[in-house]
Amino acid sequence: MRIALFSDIHANLPALEAFFKDVETRNTDAIYCLGDLVGYNIWPNEVIDEIRKRGIPTIAGNYDWGIGRSSDDCGCAYKTDEEKALGKVSISYTNEVVKDEQRAYLRTLPAHIRLEYQLNHDKRNILFVHGSPRKVNEYLFEERDEKSMLRIMEQADADIMCFGHTHKPYHRILNSGNEGGDHFRHAINIGSVGKPKDSDPRGGYVILTINPDSTVTDKESIKVEFIRFEYDIEKAAKAVEDSPLPNEYADMLRKG
Amino acid sequence: MRIALFSDIHANLPAFKAMLDDMDDQKPDAAYCLGDLVGYHIYPNEVIQEIRRRGIGTLKGNHDQKVQKLITTPNSLQEPGKNYAYHLISQDNRDYLKTLPAHIKLEYKLQSEMLNLVFAHGSTRSIDEYVLIDTDEKYVLDMMQEAGAHMLFVGHSHKPYHRILEENNKFKHVVNLGSVGKPKDGDPRGCYVIITIAPDSSILNKNSIQVKFRRFEYDVEASAKAIENSLLPSEFADALRLAK
Repeated sequence: MRIALFSDIHANLPALEAFFKDVETRNTDAIYCLGDLVGYNIWPNEVIDEIRKRGIPTIAGNYDWGIGRSSDDCGCAYKTDEEKALGKVSISYTNEVVKDEQRAYLRTLPAHIRLEYQLNHDKRNILFVHGSPRKVNEYLFEERDEKSMLRIMEQADADIMCFGHTHKPYHRILNSGNEGGDHFRHAINIGSVGKPKDSDPRGGYVILTINPDSTVTDKESIKVEFIRFEYDIEKAAKAVEDSPLPNEYADMLRKG
Repeated sequence: MRIALFSDIHANLPAFKAMLDDMDDQKPDAAYCLGDLVGYHIYPNEVIQEIRRRGIGTLKGNHDQKVQKLITTPNSLQEPGKNYAYHLISQDNRDYLKTLPAHIKLEYKLQSEMLNLVFAHGSTRSIDEYVLIDTDEKYVLDMMQEAGAHMLFVGHSHKPYHRILEENNKFKHVVNLGSVGKPKDGDPRGCYVIITIAPDSSILNKNSIQVKFRRFEYDVEASAKAIENSLLPSEFADALRLAK
């Protein structure tokens, strides 16, 4: 079974359309969206509509959480005063343009989706969260201490945890087994469709393959593919520049 | 947000197509399938292919599980009997069925309280346990507690119902989706469910979650005839006509 996972579209319609074109060629069996549909670009309603039209199971990202509640706080961890000022423009712009129906959709998205497997005598949980199981806006970076990462996954009863939020894709395999045997857990950051931050400006998503003989003791029994796809970056960047949104967000798209 | 939930298609492609037409008209925001894609009819591959093509989040049912142990030889497809329904399934689709999850859980934080929707085929304890409208209330509540479920959605019995259980001023919901392709409640039309989650949906508010059962017509006779013209037992055709 091949599961497509994507997130962090951030109102970037050209990127979302290119993603759909790409994923349709890859023979996936299921598709989930891990949140942050809106913010930072001009097409929040259109992005929501495309995802709803396809009936894609979707969880709330921190930005969706904020806009769904008409809040002026997106839960974003801006570091500098300048970043904060730019972020303020983006959230107030997004609150202004998002329509009632689309806001109501964001408001009623679940926080997590969990797939509980009983495969080859193992119980195994795949957990989809936006930031972390503890908080919608917690960043789980690749360099996080292994013990801390394992603790988060064990507390959430997650064997395979997929998330977004940082816009920096990675796959980390951790072993929480003991002398009794291995127990491999997988932490997978699926990157970002519409606002990558790993210096590659192409959009990114993940295809997770669950093999029929998959077990927790076999490290290689799931496959994680990071897909990158081209899209019309200039169109998305220009749209930012022609809007009340700060031009800095256009440059970020160009640079990734 | 409106979520379509359906199950127990049992390889009945005419019923499944009619359900999809009805569901597409309803424009739900998401759809999940609670298992039993195969068995009793001749179109298992067509049903599986359509679910895979649409990328619908799907659970394993007991009939889907049965296929794992089945050995198919070139002769199998010449033998009359109920196993014909499973022998038809391609290897690629068998691998798909094998890697389906047992349960899906949606964890909501709409209000201060968590609201967990749990989908299972039979019950959260067993893939082939029946959770019926008159199953002992305490038993169901214990099972839901153990599964962390505030709302439990199941299939398997092919008899739809919505039951609200009250416990310490909290309201737990149990919903059986009925069956798309093999109803057993005397109504031969197919059945599925659309639920609506509102911003105020909460276990503290009894009516804050709406559950609608949708019945749809399909060509029962054509579907029954296809069974009679196959190596499957004719009783399966009559069961469709009589919804038993």
